[in-house]
Amino acid sequence: MSKAIFAKAAHYAVMMGVLGYGAAVHAGDADAGKDVFKQECSECHTVKEGKNKKGPSLFGIVGRNAGSLSGFDYSDALKNAKWVWTEDKLHWYLSQPAKQANPGTKMKYPGLDNAKQLDDLIAYLQSNH
Amino acid sequence: MPPSLIRRYVRRAAYALALLLFASNSAHAIPAYARQTGSACADCHAGAYGPALTPYGMRFKLNGYTDTDGQGTKIPVAAQIIGTRTVPERGDSTTQLTEADVYLAGRISDHLGGFVKVETDNNGNDHYNTKLSNLDLRFVAKDLKIAGRETTIGVSVNNSPGFDDPIGALPNASTLGPPAVSGTLLNLSSANSLYNKVIGGGVYALYDNDWYGEIGSYNTMPTSMQDHLGYNPASDPGHLSDTGYFRFAYMKDMKRQFFSAGVVALTTKRQLPRNAPSDDITDLGYDLTYQFLGNRENIVQVSYVNILEQRDYGSTPTINGIAAKSSGNARDQTLSVTYTFKQSYALQLAHLISTGSQDAARYPPFGKPDSTANLISLYWTPFGKDDSFTSIANLKIAATWFRFTRFNGASANIFGAPPGTLITNAKDLDAFTLSASVAF
Repeated sequence: MSKAIFAKAAHYAVMMGVLGYGAAVHAGDADAGKDVFKQECSECHTVKEGKNKKGPSLFGIVGRNAGSLSGFDYSDALKNAKWVWTEDKLHWYLSQPAKQANPGTKMKYPGLDNAKQLDDLIAYLQSNH
Repeated sequence: MPPSLIRRYVRRAAYALALLLFASNSAHAIPAYARQTGSACADCHAGAYGPALTPYGMRFKLNGYTDTDGQGTKIPVAAQIIGTRTVPERGDSTTQLTEADVYLAGRISDHLGGFVKVETDNNGNDHYNTKLSNLDLRFVAKDLKIAGRETTIGVSVNNSPGFDDPIGALPNASTLGPPAVSGTLLNLSSANSLYNKVIGGGVYALYDNDWYGEIGSYNTMPTSMQDHLGYNPASDPGHLSDTGYFRFAYMKDMKRQFFSAGVVALTTKRQLPRNAPSDDITDLGYDLTYQFLGNRENIVQVSYVNILEQRDYGSTPTINGIAAKSSGNARDQTLSVTYTFKQSYALQLAHLISTGSQDAARYPPFGKPDSTANLISLYWTPFGKDDSFTSIANLKIAATWFRFTRFNGASANIFGAPPGTLITNAKDLDAFTLSASVAF
């Protein structure tokens, strides 16, 4: 009996550890992410609602369907991308060259290889909705 | 020194000073581009007014001014008005509307774009002169692949060698060159400079985002055409032939920082005046730039340009009983450091040196054409940012001090005036200006 309780407790501990670790990976600092946004993104994007630059507004980007902002002239590649910009998807997309993640996209971005900055950036994007 | 020569050198000094004044007020942040791209002025210019470019601004220029926000066609017209209070060390102070400009600037298609500036200057006493200023028309092929690497290839037709350069440190692009008695052909502040008075251009390529190369040629326009375009025939750069322009640079954008290292060459045969034997002239220069951009709160931009010009003269006239040398050289150096806070407040310091080889006949009375000047400018640009009152227009209030420590090879009595006459020292060319510029 005590053996079974111990095993269950160990299982929960491992799961919590995994979840905790998972949460830590994406636990960014939105304030620090604002600086990353200025450094990496602000020349082509704003977080103002309805304000497009060379790239579309990133207001409310987390949870939005890819290529779905009305009035912006997306590439066919992004219009046909059937995904939602979840935090995980943004993490995947921004950690590599844009043209590798979505061949045919107009976006020219070499990717952000600094994991902390990437987490902070996504936290900042998450905060703008 | 004969009075006619003194007058000639006074005119050169006035011209050099006027160009420095021009340099401090010149705008290259064109609101029409901001409307076309949806970008703020500050995305392309650290100080939100120009002319110094951010790496993003360089890419926009390399792409032939064709980038867009995809929100339909925008009217490719912008304007600028400048008013200036000028307080020279010697002479009367003036407050006047100094310049009004119209820009035709924007994209025609994904592959065609351009920049044309028509400038009206107040030459004093409300006498205005309108001229075709900068011109840069481009065809560009983007997103090409060569050996698997991203490549951009373009053609630029322009009227100043170096104006089309993406890095923008060369004098004709930065509008910052040493005021020179005998400057290089690539320096807009040289007497009879090529700036805006030639027509030509070249083919350029950007390979793998980092390597830039350009090869081109230029011809001078007939003096009658220069006259029609608003340029005094006395400033004619002469007749050019066999002219080649070459540029090669490595540029690295690391988002928070940027640096570049480049070389430039211009070779030509020049007849000045046009019926004179031709001089063989070769300019060879290098430039280094660095930018710290960070999160754009504190930006530092540093550039250094060093251009050496070798001349083999077509004639060796005897002036005042002295035979001119058959060859010589000139060197122009520009060091500029600009600190910009919040892309709104900036301090620029520039050290400008022009030197040349000894030639008693060509550079009386001291035999040296050397000049040294400084530009110190403090300015405020409240708009042109994403979060400012407007991101697509701007105002610039600038206080600028021009300081000369040497001109015509001397610090004191620079024109060699005889005793009992008015003596001009280098510091008598100093000037302070307070200017307000509006671009919309």
